[in-house]
Amino acid sequence: MKQTALDKKFDKIRAMEEAGQLKPAKGSRALRKLMANRLAMVGLVIFSVILLMSIFAPLITEHDPQKINLRAMLKPPSWDHLLGTDRTGRDVFARILYGGRISILVGLGSALMAAVIGVGIGCYTGYKGGWIDTLALRISEIFMSFPQIILVLLLVSIAGQSLMNLIIIFVLTGWAPMYRMARAKMLSLREEEYVQALRSFGVPTVKICYKHILPNALGPIMVNITLSTAMFILAEAGLSFLGLGVPLSVPTWGNILNVAQDLRVLQNNWWLWLPVGSVISLFVLSVNFIGDGLRDSTDPTLQG
Amino acid sequence: MNKLFGMAIAAAVGMTSTFAYAERVNQLSDERVRQAIAYAIDMDTIVDTLFEGKAIVADSMIPNGSFKAEGLNAYSYNPDKARALLKEAGWDDSQVLDVVYYYGDQLTADLMVAMQAYLGDVGIQMTYRKLEGDVGGQLSKLPTAEDTSGIEWDIAYGAKAALALQEYYNGYKSGSSSYAPGDADRDALIARINASADPAVQQDAFKDFERFENTKLSDIPLYYQQLFIYESARMNRNGGQYGNDQFNYDWGITKWTVEPDANGKEVLYTNTAPAQFFEHPWLNPGIYVFSKIGLDRLLTANGSLAPTGGQLAEDYSVSDDGLTVTFDLKDGLTWHDGAPLTAEDVLWSIETAKKVPGINAVFQSTFEAIESMSVEGDVITLNMSQLDPNVFLTFSQFAPLPKHLLGDVNPAEFQQHPFWQNPVGSGPYKIAEVQMNDYVRFVPFADYHGGEANIDEIVAFPSGENDGNVVTNAASGRLDFGFTKSVADVASLEAMDHMRIVPADIPYTRSLRMNAFPKAASK
Amino acid sequence: MLTFIIRRLLITIPMMLVISFLVYLGLELTPGDAVSHMIDPEAAARMTEEQFAEMREALGLNKTFLERYWIWLTNVVQGNFGHSLSGGVAISTIVLDRLPATLELSVFALVFSTLIGCVLGTLSALRRGSGTDNALTVVGMLGVSIPEFFFGLVAILIFALNLGWLPAGGRLLPGYETFFDRLPHIVLPGIVLSLMMTAGVMRYARSSMLDSLSREFIRTARAKGLPAWRINLIHGFRVALTPVVVLIGFRLPTLIGGSVIIEQVFQWPGIGSEFIGAVRGSDYPLVMMIALLSVFAVLMASLIVDVLTALIDPRVRLG
Repeated sequence: MKQTALDKKFDKIRAMEEAGQLKPAKGSRALRKLMANRLAMVGLVIFSVILLMSIFAPLITEHDPQKINLRAMLKPPSWDHLLGTDRTGRDVFARILYGGRISILVGLGSALMAAVIGVGIGCYTGYKGGWIDTLALRISEIFMSFPQIILVLLLVSIAGQSLMNLIIIFVLTGWAPMYRMARAKMLSLREEEYVQALRSFGVPTVKICYKHILPNALGPIMVNITLSTAMFILAEAGLSFLGLGVPLSVPTWGNILNVAQDLRVLQNNWWLWLPVGSVISLFVLSVNFIGDGLRDSTDPTLQG
Repeated sequence: MNKLFGMAIAAAVGMTSTFAYAERVNQLSDERVRQAIAYAIDMDTIVDTLFEGKAIVADSMIPNGSFKAEGLNAYSYNPDKARALLKEAGWDDSQVLDVVYYYGDQLTADLMVAMQAYLGDVGIQMTYRKLEGDVGGQLSKLPTAEDTSGIEWDIAYGAKAALALQEYYNGYKSGSSSYAPGDADRDALIARINASADPAVQQDAFKDFERFENTKLSDIPLYYQQLFIYESARMNRNGGQYGNDQFNYDWGITKWTVEPDANGKEVLYTNTAPAQFFEHPWLNPGIYVFSKIGLDRLLTANGSLAPTGGQLAEDYSVSDDGLTVTFDLKDGLTWHDGAPLTAEDVLWSIETAKKVPGINAVFQSTFEAIESMSVEGDVITLNMSQLDPNVFLTFSQFAPLPKHLLGDVNPAEFQQHPFWQNPVGSGPYKIAEVQMNDYVRFVPFADYHGGEANIDEIVAFPSGENDGNVVTNAASGRLDFGFTKSVADVASLEAMDHMRIVPADIPYTRSLRMNAFPKAASK
Repeated sequence: MLTFIIRRLLITIPMMLVISFLVYLGLELTPGDAVSHMIDPEAAARMTEEQFAEMREALGLNKTFLERYWIWLTNVVQGNFGHSLSGGVAISTIVLDRLPATLELSVFALVFSTLIGCVLGTLSALRRGSGTDNALTVVGMLGVSIPEFFFGLVAILIFALNLGWLPAGGRLLPGYETFFDRLPHIVLPGIVLSLMMTAGVMRYARSSMLDSLSREFIRTARAKGLPAWRINLIHGFRVALTPVVVLIGFRLPTLIGGSVIIEQVFQWPGIGSEFIGAVRGSDYPLVMMIALLSVFAVLMASLIVDVLTALIDPRVRLG
């Protein structure tokens, strides 16, 4: 009989068993699974490298990202300027590093704040149920009925452009999915026996929600935070492209990439757009890998 | 509820930055500070590098030529002098200047970056932002009764494109500028530049004005912008002139030719078609394609916009005192829909334009000077209450519109009239098809009084003068003719083998408007 | 079935009302009212307070907020969406003008991405764990990680500017009557938009295929000795189709939002580029109306999806 993929897998498992590799290991099972996911680890490495380089930008480059030198504009990469200079003679490498600080802050910051708000509401109302639950559910439905970019642009048009506004807008558009997920998790967990036990001991509701149930829902929340981070970084870049993002005076990845709209730059000055475009893509990719790995490691129902 | 709360927060965050320096006395009202800013910016290097040499450093608002005073201070780059002036003026370096602009191009953003660096170098902090939304309202709003600034910004980067040289300075008249406080000496100078139609007398008045403004610096002039006309190798003006394409002049469009396509049809591609509605021609008389090829004026002008002869008018004259002007219309003129174009249409157009808010400033001052008008057959007579040096200039740019189609319009909502969805004109080309936001197709107007035009069809796409689409469309062979002021576009177009560039000198000065009015404490 | 649809409509309608109320509230919160937008600032300086009051009264602006909302709502229900601020053009006209372009692009991308996504996703599931599977996973991830405008610009650089195969932008040229005349213009934006969306479909198709392959009846079919291709395609795929229909349904509204940036990159004259223009120009009535219509599209799409899933998969109970 032809050996099927399933057979092969079982052979592998048997081999591993015989080699004593399948004994229960110490530490978190989810963490181990994550470590074993090659793509997630690659993602984590890329993520950390870009993040650390942005944070320690002053140690890595001596160039000031805002220092212009008109006589040295549009210079291709060289030892002095690793990624060349832009249209006002600023060092592109330094700008990408410093720009990363703001872009990552916008992406990660908005995702974390959206998670705090969404999960905060979701846990409480999901656990309590009743009218407060219905109300929160309806509000989230309203937010989720808007196509995301339409809602973002709508809020930009009302609030105007600034870094703070952008973060608030992202939080406003991003809390609803977090809320829905936390609530769903709550609904399934609140009937568990240990919760009933806690309740009968008279442990306060807030404590039950946030201290005893919430940790069990952390996996999916982490997944959601990473995926939202990726989404917000892309959204920041997209809004900057439309000229509706962070004001141009603030260096962000989106604002640096904005010059690619000029076809002459696109055709002649690759160092102005290709590196920063690649960094955005790589960073988002790494975050997505991490999110994917986290999902696989925390969700036992997902296969493959 | 959540949403409302969020909006409130968002609105509050947006507001805080604007009023941060509210209660201070305006430091920009000190002319030494304005001079320091002029010294601090190295325009020579900026023009050389950012502008790739395609602009001319300015020393006054008035372009170079016979109207320019000699020996003006050019405020060449001198950071030490700038610092010294600031020290003298007691500059408080905790103020962050709010600089605004309204162009969406990359070059402007780069210029702001450079300006921020140069000012920072002499100890002046600034931020910059692009005005969005109601740009006109944010840019110019007259000060309130207590002479408190009506506008929020400190410095605005913008352009003055003058149809007549007086326009550069008439806006400074006491009580009419939103950023330069009135001044009796300047009012006297303004009266002088408008007092005569004789160039020799005007010249002296202008030169005095330039010297006066050279130290005042109500605007810091930055550079003179050339206009660049581009054409594809497919088309040929056949001897037609080149000139200030932002306005109308005798460019001989009926004789233009273009290489026929595979089907033997001659189609010329251009841009500036509408996205939602056709712009009416009384504010910008010659920017948009319909205004350029679909409408005629009473008079025609040469490339430098000096009136040269009749277009709809066969004959015209002005009395010696300049107070009686007559136009004699050609016989048998018609609109594109076949209705006759009569002196009544012209009269109605002038009367309506007086009531339309926000028309071209030169038109407006001409029309305001008209005391009465009368029509006798084809002859229109204007009786002026005072001499207007630009009356013929106005009528070489002001396009009459059909009364029979627009007669019912409410002037306050002029642009909102359905006419502007598919307008009827009087020019060499008429509209054959409007696909709003896709393209507009023009075909020759067979009964045109100047003879039927050569090119079978002109197709216009809705990209503007200054957006990135100009280069994309030209690269893909879908732009045969147009004009731009964008230096970046010019460099890209020059690099294309099938495009040629014709630069034209135009009166167009980019400057920094300095808001010298004291700011309000808060709203 | 009918009761199900009616019940769903009964949920959707109050939702629409609440959202329309919020949108109207947003309109009220934006600076200035209709009068201040209608009158040129220069002209406004010459007007008296009485004149302003008269205009406000004529426009019904001095009524209470709720009364105004009611008038606005009845107008919207009757298809009178108000007027754009910049040119006074009826918003319904603008929307009807631009909608075909957006739908054209969206439908192209929807069909194309679904086809590719399903094929690749199925392939990936059948060769689970193989090099193909891993490569497709990484490519799919890349698809959701590259900023779409960046991808679009690079596509323009390569295919329109360097190779000159396709037009760089625009939608219609005069005299282009037939479908084939117009095809070249949609190819580049359509494919770029599709590729950005393929990843999601692929991932979804893969997991639902995996899910259905592990079902009882597949094992039964296998046990019966049916050829592998038949099992995979006919039995497996049919069950996997339900989630794909769900996915398509949920993508319908994202296509209206999803094409916003691509329309801008390729000068595609659709709702998206109109919306951006309106946001930039602070044309609030237009912004609000397009947002409201897109919400309406989302709610309708989710209704249709629910009905469709119920029709395809008998196991889904109508409830």
